[in-house]
Amino acid sequence: MQHSSSKSSLARRIAVGLVTASTIVALAGCATAGSGTASGPTEITLSMQNPDVKTADPATWAIVQAFEKANPDITVTVSGEAVAEHLQKLSIAAQSDTLPDIFWVYKSTAVDMQKAGKLLDLAPVLDELGLTDKFPASTVSNFSTDKVIFGVPYQGLLTGLWYNKKVLADNGLDVPVTFDDLINVAKTLSAKGITTISNGANQSSFSVWSFLVDLDRFGYQDKIQGILAGTEKYNNADFLRLYQHIAELRDAGAFASNVSTQTYQQAVDQFTGGNAAMLDAGVWASSAIQDAGIDAGFWAGPQFSDGVGDQKIVMNVASAPFAVAAKVGDNAAKLAAVKKFIAFYYSDEAQQLLVDNGQPPVTTYAPQVDATKQGALKAALDTATAPGVTSPETQPDLIVSTAVASAMYDSIYGVIQAQLTPQAALELVQKAFDAQ
Amino acid sequence: MVWISSRWKIVVMVGPALILFSVFVVYPVVYSMGFSLTKFQGFGTPEFIGFKNYLALADDPFFWQSLQNTIIILVVSIVLLVPLSFGLALLLRRKIPGGAGMRALVFGPAIIAPILIGLIWVFILDPKIGLINRLLAGIGIPPVQWIGGDILTPYAVSAVFIWSSIGFAMTIFYAGLQVLPEDVMEASSLDGATGWQQLRYVTVPMMRETFAIVAILLITNVFKIFELVYMLTGGGPVHRSDTLVSYMYFVTFTNQQYGSGMAIAVIVTVLSAIVSIGYLVLSRERKIA
Repeated sequence: MQHSSSKSSLARRIAVGLVTASTIVALAGCATAGSGTASGPTEITLSMQNPDVKTADPATWAIVQAFEKANPDITVTVSGEAVAEHLQKLSIAAQSDTLPDIFWVYKSTAVDMQKAGKLLDLAPVLDELGLTDKFPASTVSNFSTDKVIFGVPYQGLLTGLWYNKKVLADNGLDVPVTFDDLINVAKTLSAKGITTISNGANQSSFSVWSFLVDLDRFGYQDKIQGILAGTEKYNNADFLRLYQHIAELRDAGAFASNVSTQTYQQAVDQFTGGNAAMLDAGVWASSAIQDAGIDAGFWAGPQFSDGVGDQKIVMNVASAPFAVAAKVGDNAAKLAAVKKFIAFYYSDEAQQLLVDNGQPPVTTYAPQVDATKQGALKAALDTATAPGVTSPETQPDLIVSTAVASAMYDSIYGVIQAQLTPQAALELVQKAFDAQ
Repeated sequence: MVWISSRWKIVVMVGPALILFSVFVVYPVVYSMGFSLTKFQGFGTPEFIGFKNYLALADDPFFWQSLQNTIIILVVSIVLLVPLSFGLALLLRRKIPGGAGMRALVFGPAIIAPILIGLIWVFILDPKIGLINRLLAGIGIPPVQWIGGDILTPYAVSAVFIWSSIGFAMTIFYAGLQVLPEDVMEASSLDGATGWQQLRYVTVPMMRETFAIVAILLITNVFKIFELVYMLTGGGPVHRSDTLVSYMYFVTFTNQQYGSGMAIAVIVTVLSAIVSIGYLVLSRERKIA
């Protein structure tokens, strides 16, 4: 009996010893992981608005790969979810102070996070790296509050309407210039059962880029500060004319009958399959268009005879930014790694990688574009740099809260899908502004 | 013999379940109720605003639309699904060739993830590329806006919900039918009851509890419908096909208005509880009567 008791006591001691040893090893592992010491690489985390960054965002993936190759002492752990899930995860992480080191986020959310002290002020970092002057001035001001820079541009947002040259030519149509031209194109194609503008509202209500550009053709940039301050209204006579034009396009049969049930990706497929004359999208679609072998051009959108101000506008701005978690500033090794990543991301090498993967550069870098392999991208870049063309500072939905942006998308799709009258659509957005 | 009826023993035995229930059910509900009284975007400090979120919902047409859609789906589902699944259970209880295979087939949709069910039915109901409209076009009938319009979408969601839930409900009824006492059924047959009379006066009354269980499960499941709507229409056009839960998701996670989203969540919880308890009370009254 005593023998058995001493045996079990020995077994217990061995078990306790093993548990203690494994705990020490695990804790040691925790101490080194992520923080970076002389014994291992420093890890930085990059969280994106995309569930499959490697496939769906090859430009970012290529930059991360090139960065890790150039910096073997740093590893970048990339993760991602669809936009809503990504934002949800960020909110929880911000609340529990576990934000990823670098992450994509809407500007309005970044502003709120910055106010809540969750973000690192990037102004000193950009100054130290000599990057501030590499960005267009509008980009820096767009991601600044007072003297704090809370974000750096993720990718360029060059949006408009891709058009299939063959579909237009086969139907005896020229590339439209004015809104009246576009209406004529829609009427002609609709009579033959061809969709003029391919877009999809299902799970992608934000896919109204070309209409957001149109808002700028009706004086959005001049009005928005007044609207935000409450001295002007979104439901004004100028915007009403634009929404009436959207209704005219709908009545001319410009949109697919299943616009409310098809997703953005299905809209792209509709265009690349040759079943639509135009695609409402941006430069990010150039690779898909190129791969589909479509002979496509890029149109900045219609000019309106009853518009407000400059009509030769192309939306060529910085997209939603990358932000850096404030806690990165508390860890010297991590901060150094993040600085290296930022320096690399905006180097000419990385900007060329963006271009090689179908994205425009976000710095002032002049890219090398192979016209034979990247005809679609070149068409978009040529449109953006055409003589006499100007760009607003930012896209209309990026300077309002997510709730207002959602209302803007709903208002546009509401008219496209004949669910809202132009006046009701404007009131929907105004109500969202008022709720702020 | 050890008696377990002493108070402390009851507390010890019920305690673990009570703690788990409190942590995973009561606490989140109370937590949500608290946030529903705040303006909160998911981080930072919530600002207490009283009942403003609830008042704003009263003035939100999309909320009322989503409530209306949920009620339509609830009514259509309960009215059709309960008798249909009971009828199927009666049918499949009979000894027919391939009965077991048919039961498995009917139960099949219940084991498919709702998100996949939504995906499958998009290709059936889509007004342009959907199978039904293609078949209709073949016989010269113009396309119907099954989903994506503002009239038929909630009914289409109900139909898909019925399709996906009928096997589950049928299985519960089938199990209930299997345990009906044979002697009672036999006695009613000997008394000369016809098949219909046996069903009306013996089977259905004896299965009242099963009916209540199925109805409660369906009611709570209807109040949880999200993935079907998300895949079929994304709530569109312009929230016309949102249910309460899909609209709550939109408000909370897309618009990042956690306070308003939690207010909708509280309303869903309360409504679900009211409808379920109401049904139970009604069935009990009928039983007593």
